[in-house]
Amino acid sequence: MERLPRGRHGLSPEFVAQNQRERLIAGLTEVLYEVGYQKTTVSLIGGRASVSKSDFYKHFASKDDCFFAAYEAGIERIRKVVTDACAGDEKSEWSSRVPMGIRALLDFLARDPALASLSLVEGLRAGRGVYDRYQAAVESFVPYLRRGAPPTPDGDPVPAATDEAVVGGIASLLGRRVLAGEAEQIDKLAPDVLEFALTPYLGATEARRIISAG
Amino acid sequence: MDAMAELTAEQGYEATKIADIVRRAGVARKTLYDNFDGKEEVFLAAFDSAVTEVSARIEEACADIPDEWDARAAAGLRALLTYIAENPATARMCLIEAMSATPAASVRYEEATTRFVALLERNAPVDTGLPETIGETLVGGVAWILHQKIRRGEAEQALDLMPELLDFILSPYHGVAKTKR
Repeated sequence: MERLPRGRHGLSPEFVAQNQRERLIAGLTEVLYEVGYQKTTVSLIGGRASVSKSDFYKHFASKDDCFFAAYEAGIERIRKVVTDACAGDEKSEWSSRVPMGIRALLDFLARDPALASLSLVEGLRAGRGVYDRYQAAVESFVPYLRRGAPPTPDGDPVPAATDEAVVGGIASLLGRRVLAGEAEQIDKLAPDVLEFALTPYLGATEARRIISAG
Repeated sequence: MDAMAELTAEQGYEATKIADIVRRAGVARKTLYDNFDGKEEVFLAAFDSAVTEVSARIEEACADIPDEWDARAAAGLRALLTYIAENPATARMCLIEAMSATPAASVRYEEATTRFVALLERNAPVDTGLPETIGETLVGGVAWILHQKIRRGEAEQALDLMPELLDFILSPYHGVAKTKR
């Protein structure tokens, strides 16, 4: 994020503070991705964000505090991308809404590997004590899949555990790719992820038809 | 190693001290250090041993049913859930604590996941045209459901998950694979 001009600029203190906070969150996300949690320091975050150390502590009590804020903000950005992709199309069929949401999610994460790493790897695997937040974040995507979902091809309702396992399975696959340093290629997984997500509801034939239709 | 599993399940990896482990295990501190470099070594050894044990049980269960995929998947899943129900502390250590205990532990966790993916792929139907990543997403999905069960303190009731998890594992194969091979 760009820093604000120095000196007299006529910007309100609230605006400056909010801007600083956002820069610090962006700074932490980038530094974390580059050097890992252990080596991420308040000085590095401040340096990246062009915010002084004393200003850092006006916003956050500690590195962890900043980490949690970044995590929440990151999940919120991801959720917005997914809801926007689905929402323009609230009345449309489940079978077109869900693929749009998933494609939007993968494209967004591929373009922002630092965010992908923060949300999918650091949250769960790096021991920041954010497991509850990670769980809540993953859970919060389940309703997008569940709402309006068709029954199985045999006519039975899809069990609730399947909705959750599909979302958890996607998060796990994406996390593994990010860990392997392949975050930028996450969008290439779209056909795989879509087939995995759609098949329990639509059957393999219909899922493949939708995926190949793009 | 059993003491390690119990203690991490009770209080988490970080809060578990060498002193707690030796007291719980009823061994001398020196005995522990004769066998392990330190706390992390004990943890990793306990993790490895559990993963080896549960993989062997799954393989064994699957080997009994060479011909039918649906039944083989059920047997393998039942073996996994039975192990979790019988060893709730170890299950918690492996599925929850290992992800974040230490950097080496989280590497081990990913390697174990890869092992379970390979185990599934060895036993699942071939030539299905399913995505290459199907094993990873299925294992990840099952692990996710297990995490939640364990975190709710319901590891002993893991077998309750049998019908829904089996349905989840089998659903991609319906219509693209012969259930016999």
